[in-house]
Amino acid sequence: MTRPVALIARVFHSGLAVRLAAAAAFMLGAPALTADDAPERAGDPVYGWVLYNYYQGDAFDALTLLDVARERGGIVGHGAYPELVEGGLMLSYGMTREASDLFTRLLEETNTAENDETDSKKPRVSLTPDVRSQAWFYLGKVFYLEGEQGPAFESLQRVDADVFEESDSGLYPEWLYLRARLAMKSDAFGDNALVESLRQQLGKSGLWAHYLGYNLAMGEIAAGDVTGAQQSLNTLIADMEDEDPKEDLVAEHRALLDKSRLSLARLYLRDSRFDDALALLGAMPLDGVFSDRALFDYAVAAAGQGRMQRALDALDALSQRTLFLAWREQVPYARGYVLEQMNQPRRALNAFTQAAEHYENRGEELIIARRALTEENLMARLSFLRDSDDIITDAYGRPRVTPADFGLSEVLATEAFQQALGELNELYRMQALLAQREEQLSTFEAMLETRKIQRERRSREARYELERQQADDWVDAQNSFRTDIESALAREDAEFFMTTEQEDLKARLTKVAATLAQLPVDQNTARQRASYERMQAYFDWTVANDYGVNRWEAQKQLRELNREMEQFRNQRAAIEALISGDAEHDELARRLIRKATELQELKAQVQGALQQARGILMSRLDEALEQQSSELRRYLVASRHAQARLADHLFREGQSAEAAND
Amino acid sequence: MTDFFKTLLAGACVAMMLFMSAAVHAESGTAEDSQAVAERVEDLKKKVIGLNRDLFILEEDLLFPASTQFAVFLSVDAGEFLKLDAVKLKVNGDIVASHLYTDRQVSALERGGMQRLFIGNLKTGTHEVTAFVEGIGPDNRAYKQAASLAFEKGTDTAALEIRIQDRSSDYQPMVSIVEWE
Repeated sequence: MTRPVALIARVFHSGLAVRLAAAAAFMLGAPALTADDAPERAGDPVYGWVLYNYYQGDAFDALTLLDVARERGGIVGHGAYPELVEGGLMLSYGMTREASDLFTRLLEETNTAENDETDSKKPRVSLTPDVRSQAWFYLGKVFYLEGEQGPAFESLQRVDADVFEESDSGLYPEWLYLRARLAMKSDAFGDNALVESLRQQLGKSGLWAHYLGYNLAMGEIAAGDVTGAQQSLNTLIADMEDEDPKEDLVAEHRALLDKSRLSLARLYLRDSRFDDALALLGAMPLDGVFSDRALFDYAVAAAGQGRMQRALDALDALSQRTLFLAWREQVPYARGYVLEQMNQPRRALNAFTQAAEHYENRGEELIIARRALTEENLMARLSFLRDSDDIITDAYGRPRVTPADFGLSEVLATEAFQQALGELNELYRMQALLAQREEQLSTFEAMLETRKIQRERRSREARYELERQQADDWVDAQNSFRTDIESALAREDAEFFMTTEQEDLKARLTKVAATLAQLPVDQNTARQRASYERMQAYFDWTVANDYGVNRWEAQKQLRELNREMEQFRNQRAAIEALISGDAEHDELARRLIRKATELQELKAQVQGALQQARGILMSRLDEALEQQSSELRRYLVASRHAQARLADHLFREGQSAEAAND
Repeated sequence: MTDFFKTLLAGACVAMMLFMSAAVHAESGTAEDSQAVAERVEDLKKKVIGLNRDLFILEEDLLFPASTQFAVFLSVDAGEFLKLDAVKLKVNGDIVASHLYTDRQVSALERGGMQRLFIGNLKTGTHEVTAFVEGIGPDNRAYKQAASLAFEKGTDTAALEIRIQDRSSDYQPMVSIVEWE
């Protein structure tokens, strides 16, 4: 009897998947609408770029960009909204734990800042009470879906009931329902009185009220109160039949109504109330989600009533259905049984023989399927919903998949299998991304290597140029010039600082002196000698007089030379430093090596997780096939027994007839 | 007759209950494994995002150093008078980017997203950027508009935005290029 609960949970769950997508959208949309300081346009291009990716469903790229922005100092001008966006993106990307932590922190931050009147610090994000209630609600729902009941309870408790009822009348019943379900699961989350009170608040109409009614009835069955469960289901069916749901809820309403009828009919069958069961099942539509099961139960009820032809018609109708469902395996046996009860032993024997053959064949198929169970043939039996090359996922990041082989439909519908399949898909996507990044890294390596070669070539050219400049000779010349000036200064050697003109004059005077030295000292040369001495004296006086100016000029030139040489030396040092190494290149190369190592480690981790996820998935499938196999064996044995019994019966009848004839 | 069916039904129920209880026991073991895998997968996702971030930054540092980096973004506000179809971008007379938009991309832009249309390198100095925007304008007619901007590229990263806005004064779209500081 836990089965109907599981099925209902699935129906409920599929609805939630759609609604959770809206939750992520809310996380983005609502704050922008309600916050006082939310800018109308993206105040930072990176934030706009993040939104561009998010709105297209590229959660991974958007999360990467947010991480890049954080690394570079954060997004400017949007307060904590990028974090809210990040939370929504994490939900979309299936990082529910991270998203929960983030939302909890943001909501508590707002709470603390608002409750603490002494705190003058304005909260980074100001959420209105209705948005805050919505956020707590969705957070509670995420925890509930994760099976984390404690945190789910705490989050749901923080919803402001009055505000929530006023602002979100559509979500309010769901909030009541979730609280009631938690209270039903554990006393720590509430007692029966609370459940009853929540039920009263939900009223008698609306899908959430009906879901709660159904689960309460299932709870009564689990507690052994079958009569109570029958009453509850009767009331529920009556309430649902009186209701006229909205167009978009018609299918869900009808499925729950059929499920309730089916559950009640089974309770009647259990108590041998075949008339009641037949009336209930007869009212069920033939094209509903549960019509096949209803048809089978109808056959059981008709047989119980003794209306074998009706039972046979129902079973024949079921036999015509081509889709394989594990539970329908009992139909071939049931046909034989009904024919036997109709006192048609030959047809019954034939039906049992066919049933046994069917079970044998099916059993062999299952054995082969189990032996050949690989991930590839599992995937070949599943049909994934795709958008271009990508598999489309739901709000939890799980693939949208339907079985190509309907033998898998039951196992596929289980939450655990869906989760395992979703994780496997995520891991494959990660593996593909890492392979792509590995390729990209090798491109970077090639790029850096090329740059290095080009640099080395340029370095060689620069070194050759430096050598050609004979830089050391220039340095030596500068040093010698400086030493000469310094020593002339020490000697106060005015001649050393003579200008070019003065040097020229000095040379000419020396030449005149040399000429005079070769001439006889007489009256003829006396006038020249006197003239020379006058010129020499004037020259000496000029040199002595210009000493200060000339010395300053020489020192000025020396300073300029020193400056030039300093610049020359610096440039040369810079070029030599560049030639000897490139810090930027080295840093990039180091980062590249680090990332390549990290990538390899991550690849290994993904590979390990893949093996684990694959193992879990395959073992789940194997368990399901084993379970099908054991059921088939049971039906096979029963068919063979019936076959033997009937053959024996017919043989004896034949013998009796012969004896009578004799 | 009904006894057998009862027996069959009861047998089926018992088998189902046995199976279900076995399944519950099995579930508790594999549920822990599943939980562990789920946590592992989430942890790996976080690491992969971190690695992707580092490689994104490394790629930009390598190919588009901050001193020469030049990026062009595109935004649509609010897209009532122009259904964006295509954009072409010229820098100093050369076409450097062109893009045809899908409905999903247009919708993402109209909701406030910004597309990074181009990233490249430019040396310091004056440059001219021209954007050609095509789409379906008012009265469902094909619409083309261009906008230009001469700007000075310094030694820091430069970012421009092609802004497509609705002009309510004459119910026409307006294309402009603005520089982000």
